[in-house]
Amino acid sequence: MIGVGKVKQYGNVLDKPLNKGKQEVSLSAFAFLFSELVQYNQTQVDNIGELERRLEDAGYAVGARVLELLCHRDKVILDPDMRGYYSGQSSSILSLKDLSLGMGNRRETRLLGILSFVHSTVWKVLFGKVADSLEKGTEHEDEYMISEKELLVNKFISIPKDMGTFNCGAFVAGIVRGVLDGAGFPAVVTAHFVPMEGQQRPRTTILIKFAEEVLQREARLG
Amino acid sequence: MQFFGGSEISPSPPAPAASGNNGHMIYVFNRNGVCLLYREWNRPLRTLDAQQDHKLMFGLLFSLKSLTAKMDPTSAAEKGNLGMPQLPGQGCSFHSFRTNTYKLSFMESPSGIKIILVTHPRTGDLRESLKRIYNLYVDYVVKNPLYTPGSPIRCELFNTTLDQYVRGIA
Amino acid sequence: MPPVAPRSGDAIFANVERVNAELFTLTYGAIVRQLLTDLEEVEEVNKQLDQMGYNIGIRLIDEFLAKSNVSRCNDFKETTDVIAKVGFKMFLGVTASVTNWDADGTCCSIVLEDNPLVDFVELPDNCQGLYYCNILSGVIRGALDMVSMKTEVTWLRDVLRGDDLFELQVKLLKHVPEEYPYKDDE
Repeated sequence: MIGVGKVKQYGNVLDKPLNKGKQEVSLSAFAFLFSELVQYNQTQVDNIGELERRLEDAGYAVGARVLELLCHRDKVILDPDMRGYYSGQSSSILSLKDLSLGMGNRRETRLLGILSFVHSTVWKVLFGKVADSLEKGTEHEDEYMISEKELLVNKFISIPKDMGTFNCGAFVAGIVRGVLDGAGFPAVVTAHFVPMEGQQRPRTTILIKFAEEVLQREARLG
Repeated sequence: MQFFGGSEISPSPPAPAASGNNGHMIYVFNRNGVCLLYREWNRPLRTLDAQQDHKLMFGLLFSLKSLTAKMDPTSAAEKGNLGMPQLPGQGCSFHSFRTNTYKLSFMESPSGIKIILVTHPRTGDLRESLKRIYNLYVDYVVKNPLYTPGSPIRCELFNTTLDQYVRGIA
Repeated sequence: MPPVAPRSGDAIFANVERVNAELFTLTYGAIVRQLLTDLEEVEEVNKQLDQMGYNIGIRLIDEFLAKSNVSRCNDFKETTDVIAKVGFKMFLGVTASVTNWDADGTCCSIVLEDNPLVDFVELPDNCQGLYYCNILSGVIRGALDMVSMKTEVTWLRDVLRGDDLFELQVKLLKHVPEEYPYKDDE
């Protein structure tokens, strides 16, 4: 399938240095592209729930690849049991064996570690800043929330009344789910608007609900 | 799938008349004559129904543009007949007219978006302000995936920002 | 007040908000992937990408005009120059060049070396007919349509198909002047 991380037969992609991610495009370019993504999906669905799901799926693919890119750049190690995550494209090819030997500095196996990774590193790469806040849910043990006062994808969007609770942040929720899943922390991730007192626009909260196995593993690790 | 229906010509309800607002009303048309936005803050006398009103305004501007271009004494370009269609951005462009009771300021982009702002007669040159409004249109309407180009504008964010901005125009 | 001069692509790009190109590249990849899954036929995907580009182009033109202060757009040569130097720079952060003018001045090529849409992408064998960046041709066509120029935009060279550069051919079909839209019924 198309995507980042395939061995290319022509050779010149392998020669291209894996850049440090400094290249930029205008926010508008992204806004227009994202807008088209939403509009295209609107034509493919019958209801809001399906639209959110499709946006999430698109985001999932992005999240998985962000993780790959970041792993090579910052040498963050993933749980090697997860489907042999390495990419044959960079100039320093890591093999599965190397991964298991821990060729790198950090190994994210703890919940707070991976959450912090998402909240800071992932957010910084994608949106140019760390997320506004990371909180633990008060009602449920398995829930965590990353909030953003003005999520990039929602910046230019005002939802018409008849679309109810639809949130384009579903795309970002998908990204987060892709990152967490790829790192070995399966979860259900959704995006919600939370009205704030004194603010005209509600803030967006990404709600992460981790799977049972994650909590069990966390408990085992002590 | 249509998420929001309705093909009303008059897109948004009149904004509550805010005191101290210098603007009377604003129209935004696209190149096909569709009135994308009509907002009024201060228009006590209403003579026509909304649709007629918009058509009249659009027609007025279309003719004015054509007329002012044809009467241009400095233009070296070949003058066609009065009423011949022109490319937007070509020829001289008129930007305002003033009567004893109001001033009408006009801006047209090369893509055919026309912004008309009617204010009290002592208002200064509003060309920069209209450009700013065009920028607001671009940011809040054009970039909104839930908006279809060519349809009436129903973006709350645009309406509120516009209201605030017009209130601030001297 | 004298009219403000058009701004250069670099100046505008420095002044607009920017995002990491990777977010952009990955989002585009997600779109292409979705289309391939939904439509299956490569030719259909090409068409859909072009249509999506067109939809973007008709909106993008307003942003372009608002930010760049370009006013005159009736000369095709000037137009393509402005697209390459200002347009590509202010949106994608890359500069393009214009070459291969034909004798009439109605057909030229826009050449891109860098293209943020395709960083680290290569086409697997079962997608060989795909014009991965076809959204760009639609964008240019849509944008020019909104300033009264009907054009035809096609790919001459594509790095993902083994060429060394991206080359788009832009051909002006005709100018479409603005007409009075209402019928004279009253």
